[in-house]
Amino acid sequence: MDTSTGDKEEEKVGKAAGRPHLAEEKDYEALREIFRHHIDSFDHMIEHGLEAMMQNVKPVEVFDPATKLKLRIWLSNPEVYEPQKERFSRTMTDPLYPFECRQAKLSYSGAFMVDLNFQYGDGGVIRDKISLGQFPIMLKSKTCHLRAANTPKKLVLLKEEPSEMGGYFILNGLERVIRLLILPKRNYPTSMVRNSFRERREGYTDKAVVIRCVREDQSAVSVKLYYLNSGSARLGFWIQGREYLLPVGIILKALTETTDHEIYLSLTCCYNDKYDRGKGSVGTQLIGERAKIILDELQHFSLYTRTQCLQHIGEHFQAVMVGLEKQSYSDVADAVLRDYIFVHLDDNIDKFNLLILMLQKLFSLVDQTSVTDNPDSLQHHEVLLPGHLITIYLKEKLQDWLLRAKRLLQDEVDKDNKKFELSSVTDTRKIIDKTFPKQIGAAIENLLKTGRLNTQSGLDLQQRAGMTVMAERLNYLRFISHFRAIHRGASFAGLRTTSVRKLLPESWGFMCPVHTPDGEPCGLLNHMTSSCRLTSYYDSEGKVKDFLEIRKSISKVLVSIGMTPALPKLLLAGPPEVLPVLLDGRVVGSIASNIIEKAVCHMRRLKVSEASVIPEDLEVGYVPLSMGGAYPGLYLFTSASRFVRPVRNLQIPSEESKNIELIGPFEQVYMEISCPDGGNGGRKDVFPASHAEIHPTGILSVVGNLTPWSDHNQSPRNMYQCQMAKQTMGFSCQSLNARADQKLYHLQTPQTPIVRTQTYEKYNIDDCPLGTNAIVAVLAYSGYDMEDAMVLNKSSVDRGMFRGYIYQTETVDLAEDKFRADRSQRSFGRSNVDKSSHQFIDSDGLPFVGQSIGPGDPYCGIYNEITSSVSANKLKGSDHAYVDYVAVDTKNKKHLQKANIRFRHPRNPVIGDKFSSRHGQKGVCSQLWQDTDMPFSGVTGMRPDLIINPHAFPSRMTIAMLLESIAAKGGSLHGNFVDATPFSSSMKRSEGSESDSSLIDELGSQLVKRGFNHHGLEVLYSGVYGTELTCEIFIGPVYYQRLRHMVSDKFQVRSTGTIDQVTRQPIKGRKRGGGVRFGEMERDSLLAHGAAYLLHDRLHKSSDYHIADVCSLCGSILTTSVIQSHKKKVREMIGMRLPSKAPKKVTCVSCKTGKGMETVAMPYVFRYLAAELAGMNIKMTLELSN
Amino acid sequence: MEGVSYQRFPKIKIREVKDDYMKFELRETDASIANALRRVMISEVPTIAIDLVEIEVNSSVLNDEFIAHRLGLVPLISERAMAMRFSRDCDACDGDGQCEYCSVEFHLRAKCINDTTLDVTSKDLYSSDHTVVPVDFSDASSTIDNTESRGIIIVKLRRGQELILRAIARKGIGKDHAKWSPAATVTFMYEPEIYINEELMETLTMEEKQEFVDSSPTKVFDINPRNGQVYVHNAENYAYDDEVLKKAEAMGKPGLVEIHAKEDSFIFTVETTGGIKASQLLINAIEILKQKLDAVRLSADTVEADEQFGELGAHMRGG
Repeated sequence: MDTSTGDKEEEKVGKAAGRPHLAEEKDYEALREIFRHHIDSFDHMIEHGLEAMMQNVKPVEVFDPATKLKLRIWLSNPEVYEPQKERFSRTMTDPLYPFECRQAKLSYSGAFMVDLNFQYGDGGVIRDKISLGQFPIMLKSKTCHLRAANTPKKLVLLKEEPSEMGGYFILNGLERVIRLLILPKRNYPTSMVRNSFRERREGYTDKAVVIRCVREDQSAVSVKLYYLNSGSARLGFWIQGREYLLPVGIILKALTETTDHEIYLSLTCCYNDKYDRGKGSVGTQLIGERAKIILDELQHFSLYTRTQCLQHIGEHFQAVMVGLEKQSYSDVADAVLRDYIFVHLDDNIDKFNLLILMLQKLFSLVDQTSVTDNPDSLQHHEVLLPGHLITIYLKEKLQDWLLRAKRLLQDEVDKDNKKFELSSVTDTRKIIDKTFPKQIGAAIENLLKTGRLNTQSGLDLQQRAGMTVMAERLNYLRFISHFRAIHRGASFAGLRTTSVRKLLPESWGFMCPVHTPDGEPCGLLNHMTSSCRLTSYYDSEGKVKDFLEIRKSISKVLVSIGMTPALPKLLLAGPPEVLPVLLDGRVVGSIASNIIEKAVCHMRRLKVSEASVIPEDLEVGYVPLSMGGAYPGLYLFTSASRFVRPVRNLQIPSEESKNIELIGPFEQVYMEISCPDGGNGGRKDVFPASHAEIHPTGILSVVGNLTPWSDHNQSPRNMYQCQMAKQTMGFSCQSLNARADQKLYHLQTPQTPIVRTQTYEKYNIDDCPLGTNAIVAVLAYSGYDMEDAMVLNKSSVDRGMFRGYIYQTETVDLAEDKFRADRSQRSFGRSNVDKSSHQFIDSDGLPFVGQSIGPGDPYCGIYNEITSSVSANKLKGSDHAYVDYVAVDTKNKKHLQKANIRFRHPRNPVIGDKFSSRHGQKGVCSQLWQDTDMPFSGVTGMRPDLIINPHAFPSRMTIAMLLESIAAKGGSLHGNFVDATPFSSSMKRSEGSESDSSLIDELGSQLVKRGFNHHGLEVLYSGVYGTELTCEIFIGPVYYQRLRHMVSDKFQVRSTGTIDQVTRQPIKGRKRGGGVRFGEMERDSLLAHGAAYLLHDRLHKSSDYHIADVCSLCGSILTTSVIQSHKKKVREMIGMRLPSKAPKKVTCVSCKTGKGMETVAMPYVFRYLAAELAGMNIKMTLELSN
Repeated sequence: MEGVSYQRFPKIKIREVKDDYMKFELRETDASIANALRRVMISEVPTIAIDLVEIEVNSSVLNDEFIAHRLGLVPLISERAMAMRFSRDCDACDGDGQCEYCSVEFHLRAKCINDTTLDVTSKDLYSSDHTVVPVDFSDASSTIDNTESRGIIIVKLRRGQELILRAIARKGIGKDHAKWSPAATVTFMYEPEIYINEELMETLTMEEKQEFVDSSPTKVFDINPRNGQVYVHNAENYAYDDEVLKKAEAMGKPGLVEIHAKEDSFIFTVETTGGIKASQLLINAIEILKQKLDAVRLSADTVEADEQFGELGAHMRGG
């Protein structure tokens, strides 16, 4: 007895371990990582980004002609508050929670306050707080109420999901995410060849070096350095929608006090005859010639000194520089250099050095000693993060607003208004308040609502629309995917070339090769791998990074390992002898090529070590010397919004606890990373692996990772699964009761898959499961499983398999504009006269909760107090529903004005519904077969839930589905879950455990242990005849998903119905009871078959059949007119008996006779055509024969 | 062919009977009869199940249909089912389906008043008829404490949640809805006949014999430890999976064993949901099968046959 209880306890412990989905405390850390980049970037914006941005917003100055003093106005100290409810009493404030916003269709936003600083003349600075409206708050950011709710329990108390991760906004009750967009990597000069460059102006070639410079406040200015046929170069940059092109020599001279000789030396330093055409040599002797041409150009303009150059620039740019119209030329030139050229650098000498380097790179590209950088490769990409987008948008809005305020103030001052005093803050505030400061907050909200950037400058972005998307909660995987998706940019979607869509090896480990939709957005909408992260302004401990400090310490380290600093002297050597070192786009020095490898190694070591100040996500982009490869150098990046992913650094002994290094796509290209799968990857012994992948599944996205044994599937199938997983009906959310989504799909009885990958538990997918373990038999039975159709077991469906609901919320807002049009007061109510609706509507005008409502039945009554009439809202659609929930907004007024009514549409599986396994094997239910008719196993009596056709396998090669079936069978017999992480066999091999048993043997032996066939086959008997089926049948549990495509939402039927007013043809559209178009191709088909009667029936009789009167004399169908016989009355008077049906009297108006009238059957549109033609003064005549 | 009788006298031998489990042999008949019996047991033997639910209060987390569906699937003791009327045929209540001849009323009233979760189970269903009650699965003989197996959980309630409903149970058959199916599983297999070719078997070494015995995933053969002979341990364990035959082939000894399925004897396994006893299920099934055959036989030579079966009538009369 004792032993047995002991065993039981042991069993219990074992059970708990084997059932991670039942664990008490769930770990959501991994899940949080998925959303982190959204929240981090927003947090940083709120905490520091706005402040930094406001410092860069240019102050405005208003000149007071009376006192000759200037009023300077600038912004500082932005504050964003937590969302509060609007209350009438100012003292009491209630927090506004996200769930309230969702239900009441509000925006989750907090007050946005800014200090306006006024300085009149040299007087003291006066601060004045001003409200800039409401700032939308990202959920779970530091200004969100949910941030404090750090446990699932607390979140549930706030009516959120226990796994709520935030990262999105709520605008008018809708959840929207800012889309992550690919941008060119910041502060890295990229060489490019584009034909469009030739069209810039005469003499331009297709070659250029482009750099996207980003300031500390995230605003960017791109600069292009074009190569000219003459051998010179032009620097191009955009001001107010126009590109300005300057000879590079002028910029070089204007940047710093230098001599022609110095410029010549700096430019030619990358050429040395010693290494001519040798490995890593990037310069040729032509470079000297070109330097001369550049300097000669200056002679041509007769510009010799820096001041002359500055004068020249200032003269030409004064007109376009806003607010500098009255400044001196040199001030304008300084502003141009500061605001448009290499804005990421503050120091002019740094700019000079960078320009020299770019010129060298350009010349090397022209001389073909280096290749172009592929702009489509992830190597040269970074991401536009939500916080950054809002910051740059806000910056422009604030600047515009300040300028507007300035103009208004200036006007007021110039009016010479006695009452107005510029020095008085109250007076100026009054004027400023007229400029609608609250529009600023509204502008951001608008950006998030519509995804459109309403901007003049374009913010150096490629697109102005589609910046945000709805975060649909169709199911959890779809929801997650919105936060991992990265779009290449809308401008590429229209491109006819496919090169941007290609899967390039550079994106290995960062972008999931499997998880991209097929069809139109294929390759443009990618998803980050589960291990990929984006760098932020926060380090791993959550502290804000101090980039100045970081750069300083990196420089220090670099100097200590042998770098020659660029300052104070310009560098005077180039590859292959020394390599330039760039740190965040600043030339910090050069390093000898013989020590660089060691230096890089050292840097990597420091990255990983905790003690060093070097950040762990530093990108050490070492481009080695090569024969005409990429331009060599050491490029270091510390900035935010880069991709990084963890790999194992093999050069650091694993005994040291930390050897996980974060690498970026730029450096990855030149690194040797071994992966446990696929041998050495063609690597030669000369290049031993310095790094190793942590696990091969690191290249897959979260959704891609959930496919069991995806390494055994044909790859397109895994792609299909990634798409289908996102349209599965599952447990969309647990907080269903506190939500008011337009449409929610919900599976009644979901299950956890028996066969699953490690990712499944890592991200707690069990919180929102999306499928059922169905017993699947693979056989051709009954013929109803042909062509990807499948037969479901009716009894299983009766017992609840695949049952689901659609929750649909209707919001009835009586205060809405469309009601307000006639200004009548409305309230909910029901008619006391008409009792027919009383069955559905309660005395308050709202439906009974739990009431079943059929299509067309009323669900809420609206009482118009002026006309005292009651109208009812009726249920649309064709299927019946239950009233699930009624929520009312009691906050406003005495009468109810707003109600959310949630309907529940039961959706039991029916013929035509779509299902899919996790291996891209989708199918449509073709028959609900009786349990007794299903084949059954003689031994166990088991009948399958679902029958699919064996033809689904040979061409699709989804071997993993077969494995899943066997494994799940074994797992369910033994009562445990089966780990199906892909590539686990190769992991095992790399770990040295040489197991010769293949996966199938392992799984098969589990079956044999329980007396089943090794291959998962079973002898089945026909359910209809009771005889043994001729062959053994493959049967086992497979996790099946019910897809959201259901016939009830799609079927279209029409016999007769509404017709178009103009053409009298049947209308189109399922919603309106229209028909399916019998189009040209269908017509052709019937013609080809010679089915004339059918054709006549479809196109005429069942369409717009019409009998027209035609005048055979003039051939017109439009001039006929029915004559009311005048004599009718007369005849009645004299008492003549009318013939039972008086013949219709028709006459032709133009012939003035009814003699030639004939009746002709024709489509009504023909008559319409005649009328249209007549409208264009074209007469159509018919010639009638016999 | 007229006058030739194919009449046979099938025999049933019961091997094992428990309340919800039975194993029996059916001999001297063919697959059509065996399968008909199986099909009738699964989908034609009537039981009683909750068919109509009127929900008065439901503040639980599950919605009304979900609870109604769950209630429908609760097995009820259906010994009375054969004697009951189908609601649609009931003349006492004009098809209303709420009279005592065709229905049983249930009431459920539960409210959670404390902080521990309240499990509403099938035991909370109060029946108007003491013979029709939810099946009690608590096994007195088992050592597991009975508090855990309090019945089938219908819904769990939290503090303040309430469920009040009235349910009508009716007679029905599994064909209409799986909830009326009395059988969890009914299956049969052909009885195998296994001949071991002793001569050929003796040519095998001991290891080979063991290999041969182990090749079947189920324990069909065994080796006599005394004389080392392979013997049929239990022929019925054989699942017609041909594993041993393939093994014999692979060992280069085809014909080592010969296995035939007896065409006229079947071994049935019946498991019920608990609604009716397994033995009763068999009796009821035979009864219903007889009734159905009667319907055919009686109408075989009457005009009704044409009405009842339409075109099929001709076939049934042997046309």
